Amino acid sequence: MKLLGLGLLLGAIALAQTDPGAWTSYGKNSFGWRYSDLDQINVSTVSRLAPQWMFQTNVPGKNETTPLVFGRMMYITGPSNTAWALDALTGRQIWAYRSAPPARLDLCCGPVNRGFAVQGNKLFKVDLEGRLLAMDAQSGAVLWQATLDDYKKGYSATAAPLIVKNLVVTGMAGAEYGTRGFIDAYDVNTGKRVWRFYTVAAEGEPGGESWAGDSWKRGGGATWVTGTYDPELNTIYWGTGNPGPDLNGSSRPGDNLYTCSVVALDADTGKLKWHFQMTPHDLHDWDAISDPVPVDLTRNGRKIKALMQANRNGFFYALDRTNGKLLLTKAYTKVTWADGIGADGRPNLVSGQDPTEEGNRACPGMGGGHNWQATAYSPQTGYYYFSSSDRCMLYYKTDQEFVEGQWYQASTVGRDEAGGGRILALDPNTGNTVWQFEMVSTPTAGVLATAGGLVFTGDAEGYLIAFDARTGKVLWRFQTGGTVIAPPISYTLNGRQYIAVAAGQTMLTFALPK
Amino acid sequence: MSRLASIFFVAAVCLAQETNPLASDPKAAEVGRWSFRIYCAPCHGIHADGGRGPDLTLGTYAAGDRDIDLFRVISRGVPGTEMAAYGGRVEDEGIWRMVAYIKSVARHDNSNLQGDAGAGQKIFWGKGGCGACHRVADKGSGPGPDLTRVGRQRSVAYLRTSIVNPDADVTPGYGTVTVITREGKSIVGVEKSYDNFSAQLVDLSGHYYSFLREDVTSMKRESRSLMPSSYGRLLSEGEINDLLAYMISLRGGQ
Repeated sequence: MKLLGLGLLLGAIALAQTDPGAWTSYGKNSFGWRYSDLDQINVSTVSRLAPQWMFQTNVPGKNETTPLVFGRMMYITGPSNTAWALDALTGRQIWAYRSAPPARLDLCCGPVNRGFAVQGNKLFKVDLEGRLLAMDAQSGAVLWQATLDDYKKGYSATAAPLIVKNLVVTGMAGAEYGTRGFIDAYDVNTGKRVWRFYTVAAEGEPGGESWAGDSWKRGGGATWVTGTYDPELNTIYWGTGNPGPDLNGSSRPGDNLYTCSVVALDADTGKLKWHFQMTPHDLHDWDAISDPVPVDLTRNGRKIKALMQANRNGFFYALDRTNGKLLLTKAYTKVTWADGIGADGRPNLVSGQDPTEEGNRACPGMGGGHNWQATAYSPQTGYYYFSSSDRCMLYYKTDQEFVEGQWYQASTVGRDEAGGGRILALDPNTGNTVWQFEMVSTPTAGVLATAGGLVFTGDAEGYLIAFDARTGKVLWRFQTGGTVIAPPISYTLNGRQYIAVAAGQTMLTFALPK
Repeated sequence: MSRLASIFFVAAVCLAQETNPLASDPKAAEVGRWSFRIYCAPCHGIHADGGRGPDLTLGTYAAGDRDIDLFRVISRGVPGTEMAAYGGRVEDEGIWRMVAYIKSVARHDNSNLQGDAGAGQKIFWGKGGCGACHRVADKGSGPGPDLTRVGRQRSVAYLRTSIVNPDADVTPGYGTVTVITREGKSIVGVEKSYDNFSAQLVDLSGHYYSFLREDVTSMKRESRSLMPSSYGRLLSEGEINDLLAYMISLRGGQ
């Protein structure tokens, strides 16, 4: 291709990514709102929403991808190191990526992947064995790759990367294998690592006193869900996971910083600006990995740059995102382990809730509350939408010796109690639930909010559901035939608004009839 | 090594693996217990005495009673059941340690059962009327769980509780669904499928129903059994022991 032609093509791709009808990052905007400005599909028209095409991946495993759509193409990732570029009009495959994962890979929760990031003509994704890839959007060719850490020591990767200026920022997974968590930033052009922030403070570092002995070396704090970015404050917000071993804290007395926290990092250097630890010395696997969502709230008539999170420990938090101070907290599900959160952000603990050899019952269950599933904020309604599993569990602790690369949970939970969950609309100014839709099974899917006054999500039994964003009334549903785990997205093509979601092993798209 | 010698060597290794190579390791069972609590306890119970998965303290196992049988099941799983394969997640030595732990908790407590299996069989198919809802091999029918192999799957204590208090632990897939139709009719049955928008159920007469939530007044899923809760009064203690002896003898005809 001539240089001029290549330049025009790259220019067209860049233009396509600024198209308001495109979807070009995990959380739609850098705040992770998952809010689409599109309103062709709305409360009046959604009843006519109909399937347009389906793409079968034929790859077994949970499908958690957030598709990216721009330049007439859809880019999706799948389980077990797979990805595809699809023609957005027809669903026909343009290219496919497959890379067999190592034969023996230590994964807590399946060979999943949550999607691409994009800048210019480069797509970015992680492979399970802790590898970050840059790929050519036109061909799928791998342009560079970087190794996050050694998969033989239990490190892995599943999250969609986050683009911040000229950096591709990524987390890691593997806190159940005695790893030490981190957030990495790589140069988008060279793949060279620019900075790393360890989510577990080492001996001698600030926060290192919150660990005993060398327990920090296997302290967990995985960063397995994509963070967010505030360009005005030049700050990256990222949630961190459980300390290790999960349910037996006897080897790690102390708060175990910076696990089960939201960390605010300088985007250029990765230096810690502030942290807020929701669950000090966690013993219930209550990762703080749910989307940390920047939003402006009004408190006492004053506008505050806030950051909100529906934490797995059962509490909704709103923080001042300039300094990490607590603004508001409120339980959104049944909570028995704490009877509130103090003004300093520390929980008021209730006794008898910690795991024991014979088991103690505590609420929420191990998955939370709200777990990792993508959340949505609608500036139109001012509500925050997320799922909650409302159950309790028996928590056991077990002594376990650490063996490098081996499962290091030192714990288990009793069989799940029967129980479903809810999709919630929450007012982040008050923490009050505005409406809720009760589900018969634990909610599985992420959420999308649109300017059409709609909220979309899926369920374990395969339904894609559209709610009235103001009232929670079900306005439309479609049985996809596979459990919906991924979040739906929305985009336009040729003047038509589409909804897309992965369900089972299928990518589906929907639009109004022509 | 000659080919013949190789065959002998392989045969010797296989023979050696029939029994647990860590059987003489005094720590194997204790270390195996740690792993058991993490991997196995969610289904088999924190004390290995069963739950959603079979009771492993009986001293007899669906997969076979040799060490190698347990090793194979843990390593490869059981296709068609919820028993997953752990061979990819746990090293062979770790699996042998779990085998050591499982063998260490075998109580063989069924030998203490006082009942008469023959008398229990008569109660099951006669006075108890159990065959109206449960199948054993090719006999009986109905919407209740198949009991053909229940003696390998459940403990005496679990079965005793199930007989006198059927709601104590309902086998997944056998919960109760109640639908009130627009006409005010109540239809109660065993859940075949249930989701946010519909219910499918079979009543005690074997009639199949499917409803959309929007077409009925209400639908409700309950974690209770449709089995009568009156057996504790209907049967004497001796009769329940007889019934238990019969049920524990049900091992799939193997």
